[in-house]
Amino acid sequence: MNNIEETLWNYIDGNCTPDEQRAISTLIASDEAYRLKYQELLALNKEFAAIELEEPSMAFTYNVIEAIRTEQAQVPLKAAINKRIILGIALFFVITLTGFLIYALGSMDWSGQSMPDLAAKVPANFKVPDISSHISKPLVEGFMFFDVVLALFLFDTYLRRKNISRQAN
Amino acid sequence: MQSKLSDIELIDQVLAGNQAAYADLVKRHQRFVFTLAMRFAKGREDAEEIAQDCFIKAYRSLASFQRQSKFSTWLYSIVYTTAMTFLRKKRVDTDSIDDENTYIQVENQSSAYDVNNAENKSRSFYLNQAIEQLLPDDATIITLFYKGEQSLEEIGQALGMEANTVKVKLFRARQRLKEKLERNLKHEAKELI
Repeated sequence: MNNIEETLWNYIDGNCTPDEQRAISTLIASDEAYRLKYQELLALNKEFAAIELEEPSMAFTYNVIEAIRTEQAQVPLKAAINKRIILGIALFFVITLTGFLIYALGSMDWSGQSMPDLAAKVPANFKVPDISSHISKPLVEGFMFFDVVLALFLFDTYLRRKNISRQAN
Repeated sequence: MQSKLSDIELIDQVLAGNQAAYADLVKRHQRFVFTLAMRFAKGREDAEEIAQDCFIKAYRSLASFQRQSKFSTWLYSIVYTTAMTFLRKKRVDTDSIDDENTYIQVENQSSAYDVNNAENKSRSFYLNQAIEQLLPDDATIITLFYKGEQSLEEIGQALGMEANTVKVKLFRARQRLKEKLERNLKHEAKELI
């Protein structure tokens, strides 16, 4: 029965070749089972075609256009903050800090026995706290390791947020 | 009054900065988009949210519309993806919607209403009721085919399927719709007796 129905639906939808169409027309005319099924499906087809479309609320178009306008109004505000400026500032800080870091690391006595004589450059009555005993190679390495872990954590958070926003869209 | 310009002409106007032209496009397609959204959401509020989201997404990507297909086909593909995302978010298991239990639930919900109003109901009421009981995919294919003026190839484009797959799915969807319609009408006949 499924085969007959499938054939007849193809016939009704006009998805048959001319030869198939002729053959099915002959079958409908000569075979009672085909004729009855054809009439049933034809009636169903007419009924399905009369499905009524749903009507959204009266304010639908207005709401869509308003939402677009609101979105557009937010864009210039975003655009006002030029990304290049932000990148430039970030680059300045990164270069400066990296320079300082390189200079500091370069001038550091890695043997851990003596520190640069800072006291000579400050007023005589100013007592520089003696921190040389606290700064050691393992401490600096530990600090660097912590920085790397923090950077990885922040990068992971950024990727997760990006992924969530992509899924939401 | 709706514009008599074609979809493509309206799109050109929108891209040239005429936002009112987009309002015309929305008016032209809103009923169909909303109906498709209803096939997934089963609630007017959610359906409006989906439909609105679709038009906003379409507006955002209007410049990237390649014009190799009809605007409506492109728009319906957005509706389908948005509605599927909505379903995923709502954690509706679409595979289980069509099982007997769900059918019985839907049937029972409507049966109380049936008893008092059976005489007033038209056959189209039962048809809409039967469509609501279909899987979203089935209901969407039926709606696209009968009301969307879309060919099997275009439906395939909108749903991301081959035309042959759409043909098979349409056949099955029609069978299921026929079964549900018959079941609903039989139920009504019993109520009247």
